[in-house]
Amino acid sequence: MDLDTLLTREFVFLDGAMGTQLQRRGLPLGAVPELANLEHPDWLADIHRSYVEAGSDILYANTFGANREKLARSGRTVAEVVSAGVALARQAAADRALVALDVGPLGQLLEPNGTLRFEEAYDRFAEVMEAGAAAGADLVVIETMADLNEARAALLAAKERTSLPVLVSMSFEADRRTFLGCGVASMALTLSGLGADAIGINCSLGPLEMAPLVDELKRWTDLPLLLKPNAGLPDPAGGGYDIGPEQFAAALAGLGRAGVQLLGGCCGTGPEHIALLRRELEGARRARRAAAVPAAVCSGTRAVAIDRVRVIGERINPTGKKRFQQALREGDMDYILSQALAQTDAGADILDVNVGLPDVDEVRLLPETVRALQAVTDAPLQLDSTDPAALEGALRACCGKAIVNSVNGDPETLEAILPLVKKYGAAVVGLTLDQNGIPKTAEERLAIARRILDAALALGIPRRDVYIDCLTLTVSAEQAAAGETLRAVRMVKEELRLKTVLGVSNISFGLPARPLVNQNFLTMAMTCGLDLPILNPNVDAMMAAVRCFHLLTNVDAEARDFLAAYGGDAAPTPSAPAAGAAARPLGELVELGLRGEAGQAARALLAAGEDPMALVDGVLIPALDRVGAQFEAGQRFLPQLIQAAGAAQAAFEAVREALAARQDGPPVRRAPIVLATVKGDIHDIGKNIVKVLLENYGFAVLDLGRDVDPERVARAVRETGAPLVGLSALMTTTLKSMEETIALLRREGLPCRVMVGGAVLTADYAARIGADFYARDAKESVDIARRVMG
Amino acid sequence: MDTGEVLRALGYGDREPDGATLALVRACAGEVRRAAVPRWRSAVLAVLGEDEGGVRLEGGLTLPGWSIRDHLRGCDRAAVFCATLSAPVDALLRRAQAEDMARALVLDCCASTAVEELCDRVEEEIRAGFPGCSFPHRFSPGYGDLPIQLQGELLALLDAPRRIGLCASERHILTPRKSVTAILGISREALPPVEERSCQRCFLRGRCQYRLRGKTCGS
Repeated sequence: MDLDTLLTREFVFLDGAMGTQLQRRGLPLGAVPELANLEHPDWLADIHRSYVEAGSDILYANTFGANREKLARSGRTVAEVVSAGVALARQAAADRALVALDVGPLGQLLEPNGTLRFEEAYDRFAEVMEAGAAAGADLVVIETMADLNEARAALLAAKERTSLPVLVSMSFEADRRTFLGCGVASMALTLSGLGADAIGINCSLGPLEMAPLVDELKRWTDLPLLLKPNAGLPDPAGGGYDIGPEQFAAALAGLGRAGVQLLGGCCGTGPEHIALLRRELEGARRARRAAAVPAAVCSGTRAVAIDRVRVIGERINPTGKKRFQQALREGDMDYILSQALAQTDAGADILDVNVGLPDVDEVRLLPETVRALQAVTDAPLQLDSTDPAALEGALRACCGKAIVNSVNGDPETLEAILPLVKKYGAAVVGLTLDQNGIPKTAEERLAIARRILDAALALGIPRRDVYIDCLTLTVSAEQAAAGETLRAVRMVKEELRLKTVLGVSNISFGLPARPLVNQNFLTMAMTCGLDLPILNPNVDAMMAAVRCFHLLTNVDAEARDFLAAYGGDAAPTPSAPAAGAAARPLGELVELGLRGEAGQAARALLAAGEDPMALVDGVLIPALDRVGAQFEAGQRFLPQLIQAAGAAQAAFEAVREALAARQDGPPVRRAPIVLATVKGDIHDIGKNIVKVLLENYGFAVLDLGRDVDPERVARAVRETGAPLVGLSALMTTTLKSMEETIALLRREGLPCRVMVGGAVLTADYAARIGADFYARDAKESVDIARRVMG
Repeated sequence: MDTGEVLRALGYGDREPDGATLALVRACAGEVRRAAVPRWRSAVLAVLGEDEGGVRLEGGLTLPGWSIRDHLRGCDRAAVFCATLSAPVDALLRRAQAEDMARALVLDCCASTAVEELCDRVEEEIRAGFPGCSFPHRFSPGYGDLPIQLQGELLALLDAPRRIGLCASERHILTPRKSVTAILGISREALPPVEERSCQRCFLRGRCQYRLRGKTCGS
């Protein structure tokens, strides 16, 4: 028997709880339950046998937490514990049930919530998966996941390191989200795409509370569904549950009839629950799902259905943007993040991510950018590259269901990229061009779209995940082309029933009044069936066209979005600059911490011919000095100091743009100050405050982030020749990492000075671990930098 | 939320903030409140006794060091608890740091205040279960010589990773970040006042914000 055979049955019965059953037999609170496989095999034999007798078709081996971290102090290996666990289940199962390797969360949070790296999580899971396969498990069950990224790591490990089928279930709370904010739709879209054999929900809730979650789950996947609810909700009056086994079985059987095929129990359930459930469903049938799964993409915490026009923000792209190119070359991730957040604030639903430049290592940078973006935004991403290695790295790094941009009709790109799309469960943009270029007519473009679709379907990529780009050509070069593009959009939409995507801004290249042309072309394209315009959402005319389209096509129910954007009292418009602010000199705006106004004033001064460096040295730095002096005198406080720095930053941004746009290119960059929060530490707010201040005194800063390996700090100093390194640690336990980092810098003979700071540090301790300077606060770090860098 | 507490954390002491700062603090407090999903777990364990390893609790947990020994003197039971504002607050703080550091700093202080206030509520709930008993102030790993390495064990005992999504990193940092673990002694006898009991031996003694104002954290 195998899982496929079982899945031909109307219902498949799983087992009930393991933990509560072990505790009942004497497992102490806080003990590692998996060690019972070796220390109390009789308990396991007994529990598994009772479930087989109750009618379970699949037994979960007692391997939930059998990973290297949790077993670290037990003196037992993963292989030992897993093989004993699988063997015990196998003995009880005989030929009557399948044995599942049960894999739970690692017990540490992955980045960006914790410090565990995705690839490290993958390695820990891979060890368990290989042990389970070697021990002869029939399938893998990944369960109780709260972090979609952790579930991805486990599922990828199972798929890549074994050939076993895999069931995945996550735990949702009463607010319909997991502890880490993952919703049912994101789970379903992502795990279905990655090739799980069945997905579902376990733990946390009882069967009654799971009903609405099941309704939602059914909409987002066509895979078989699995449920293992708790015995009920904890009864506040005592240690039990609010419902009995009969009610449990009746409620869960109802969900089975509603369409869930694999059913069992989690905490608090026992053989009685399973036996009753089996009896309830004797001869019953489960409802089949009628509605097709909608086209949609997602991040770990947000799903976006393509059921209306969805805007893809185009601004994370260096093409033709000198300031962006400079940021990429300098590793200035903050700039990229600011571009992302500005677009989502303006209403972008999805963000296109392109970091391709000839002199940039895209294979390293694209995944890194994806991780940085996903730490601060929940918008789904469109990964924009022609390099398959960069795309694979980014698809692996990207939590959720991404869009790959792009393939085209050239068989070579289809062969290189479509398998990645399939493996990682992404959607894909197909450009209607091929090795012979862009065809002139809509009919020819339709033919290429059909070829791309056929190639995708042949690999098992669903039709709903293929988006076609009919290509916008510049109307100033070829006036008839716009009409042909629009005709192609309509044909792809009607004849192939595919979602369509189109870069809009290109249409007006070389024309005056570009926003006007773009806006009208966008409206025409939406009328022809454009679903996914790629545009600059910061231009309100473009977002206005989308809002109007939704209003006029009755998609925006009761004009809610439209009124929120333009309806006066219903939604406050961005506040006007404070009265008279514009009239104030730039230095005063900085001192007052008025960001937007300071940026505008600096732009105005630069446009009037002010020398950028004179602006920095003559206005910005003196203003910051005045605020700094007041801070030291106790007349101003930290938030005001940072606000002033933020205002100066806005002015600096204008200066940087001016410098980047110069004919002779940006000035040669000075060696930066390298900043890092040390290995193991994730408290980075202090380090970030220091960064803002340093940058706004005109220092170049290379920020390595938090939880940084000593070796990475040394490498950065070696590569940039940084004369000063700033290290931050907030915990007594991570001071050790600070000491190690300094020791490595010294050992390698790097000629840099080191300043350190953080709540638990003292000047004495700083000297003891070999630091050159101790910075009591952010302001002092600026004084140190001035002394060192001159 | 006690905005006075937030302002103290921002370095204002008892001085009046300007209107803009006060407005920022209030707005940030609201954002934290909306993002937070407060969750907690607790267990009450018998204090079995002391040996050279520390204070032994029911269930096999040993709390090492002199400070916890001092702290639990006279207590026959101890409540162990953990509380978290949950992951969405971390996401809010990460995003704010990419946008505006001043706001990020204020949000961070608001979140720290919010998790302490959550602990106050949990503590109150525990105290209510033991009428007539006395309680020292709560004590956390990292105070005195109670090692921070204890975090993982406390969380495992409370099944916190699974029940409320609260974990410790390899270096014993609680994640989500705005979280606390604590031990609260329970005594059938009256306990001496806070000052005598703990300030003398507290590691924050030299720079405690409360003592600077002639108060204690327990008052």
